[in-house]
Amino acid sequence: MRLLMWWSGRALSSAATLLGVSVLIFAAVRLMPGGFAETVLGPFATAEQKAELATRYGLDQPVFMQYGHWLAAVSGGDFGISMISRQPVGAELLARLPVTAELTVLAVAASVLLGVPLGVLTAVRARPGGGGAAGRLLSGLGVSVPEFVLGSLVVFVFSRYALGLKVGSWVPLTQDPAANLATMILPAAVLSVFAISVTARTTRDAVMGVLVEPYVTAAVGRGESPWSIVRHHILRNAATPVVTLIGTTVAYLLGGALIVEHVFNLPGVGSYIVQAVGRRDYAVVQAGVLLAAGVFIVMNVLIDLLVGAIDPRLGVLAGRRS
Amino acid sequence: MSLLSVRNLVIDYARTRALDGADLEVAQGETVGLVGESGSGKSTLGSAVGRLLPRAARRAGGEVLVAGEPVFDLPDAKLRHLRRRHLGFVFQDPIGSLDPTMRVGNQLRLVLGRGGDVRFHLGRVKLDDPRVLRSYPHQLSGGMAQRVAIAMAMATSPELLVADEPTAALDSQVREEVSNVIFSLAADAGASILWLSHDLPAVARRCDRVAVMYGGRVVESGPAREVLGNPAHPYTAALAGAAPAAAAHGVRLEPVPGRPPVLTGPSPGCAFAPRCAFAEERCGHERPAPVRIREQDVLCHRAADLEPELSRRREVTA
Repeated sequence: MRLLMWWSGRALSSAATLLGVSVLIFAAVRLMPGGFAETVLGPFATAEQKAELATRYGLDQPVFMQYGHWLAAVSGGDFGISMISRQPVGAELLARLPVTAELTVLAVAASVLLGVPLGVLTAVRARPGGGGAAGRLLSGLGVSVPEFVLGSLVVFVFSRYALGLKVGSWVPLTQDPAANLATMILPAAVLSVFAISVTARTTRDAVMGVLVEPYVTAAVGRGESPWSIVRHHILRNAATPVVTLIGTTVAYLLGGALIVEHVFNLPGVGSYIVQAVGRRDYAVVQAGVLLAAGVFIVMNVLIDLLVGAIDPRLGVLAGRRS
Repeated sequence: MSLLSVRNLVIDYARTRALDGADLEVAQGETVGLVGESGSGKSTLGSAVGRLLPRAARRAGGEVLVAGEPVFDLPDAKLRHLRRRHLGFVFQDPIGSLDPTMRVGNQLRLVLGRGGDVRFHLGRVKLDDPRVLRSYPHQLSGGMAQRVAIAMAMATSPELLVADEPTAALDSQVREEVSNVIFSLAADAGASILWLSHDLPAVARRCDRVAVMYGGRVVESGPAREVLGNPAHPYTAALAGAAPAAAAHGVRLEPVPGRPPVLTGPSPGCAFAPRCAFAEERCGHERPAPVRIREQDVLCHRAADLEPELSRRREVTA
């Protein structure tokens, strides 16, 4: 019963969030300076030409009418037609999703496999006073160097010295996995720098917080080995903020790593949206943002379920006495 | 040879001095109450026994011997072995000292290993409800959680159990039961107890010996009845006078006047001198050396000439 209440509550609030996002993005797209007609027809188009185009795409209708039509179509699963490519937006997004998903998997795998151990190690090894400065500097750099700077740098370096890796000329995974990986590793690495830094930092802080808990002192007092204490008492208790962070990172990357995909010229969701914004392709931008919002909502529900499974005090059914 | 021997131990935190040359002996099978105000160094001394001090703590001198082994000079593996073989700890916060994300049964099994009988060990602390095993710590009451913590500490049959105010966070009616469990389990196992407490009457009732801490030193130690009933150190006398149960009906409780010191380095003289009614000139700049008064070891310059005075005062208030 409580579970049912929880789920229905989550479903309602998710729907409300999506609705709010749809209104915002619909309005935002139309508030961008330079409309669709100007972008397509160029600066020398006559007023008649623009009016004709607007009528053809229904852009002359009142905005709330346009919104109503769009909302009705979207609820039916129809995201409309790209104004530029004349293809269904849903199908185009779906075709580009695997690229973005692969990038996400690679970057998140790196941040879990490297960031988490790095965070645990630096926390356990930390000495009072000194230490941690080098780690803080490195992770601070990793967090604060913008992706377009690092991305451009990597593109520049590897365009000259390939080292077996490729920039651009993307190949589908299904066609040639090795060649695909050669093109995906660099963008994934650029994304990882940020993801690993944040993960390591968050893990370190979480572990440091757990290390001073009395149950860890108690375990030390029982003579348990450091490895056993990390495995049995620290990892799980420090996991909540790390899982939350990784879940958010997944959602953020799945919504399209806009800059990195664009810089590396990958045919993913991110570069699709960047292009669409440049061309005022309203249907695509709206669908892309809605997709990103949807991914965020789903990931947040997942995070809540996971966190509840990790820490019984935070669960959906917490407070129930056995 | 003593089971536990603390010799002139000095522990510093970043800027403050927590222990300023503490001495303590605990013999095999003996129960020792360690009493003193908050900030007197009780908890630091208790933690130092197993080298469980916070990372910021630093030993500036002295040593701790457990079964003859120098705790602070052991390599990590030997120290772990010593903790497993000889030591057990029970802390003040019962729920906090259990892992919040692990079921109680699993925590016990982790301590006991494969062959361990979880039910037996819970039975020893008078927890027979099998639902406890499936519970998480936050689903237990403080008293139940403390029993679980005691079961875990006693599971490996330690020779010395360090209990840092294990009942301070519990309801008063549960307090007695939990204390009973600790003392009877230790008595059955022949284990020693170092019992850190504020509760003088309970210490007087349960412990063989008492050590009184002030300003990071043990200022008086000896048989419990003697130390609390016939104190030889002015501080102990004041503390015993302030304990509720020591006062007869109608007699005003006399709190120890002044506040306990916060040391930043070695105390130049007797740390209690500023609050002491009997202090004289040398008390302020000369560190007292231990003297033997009756059955007590006392850190007080004037212990010998104060003996009749303190005895007389006891008779007046009694």
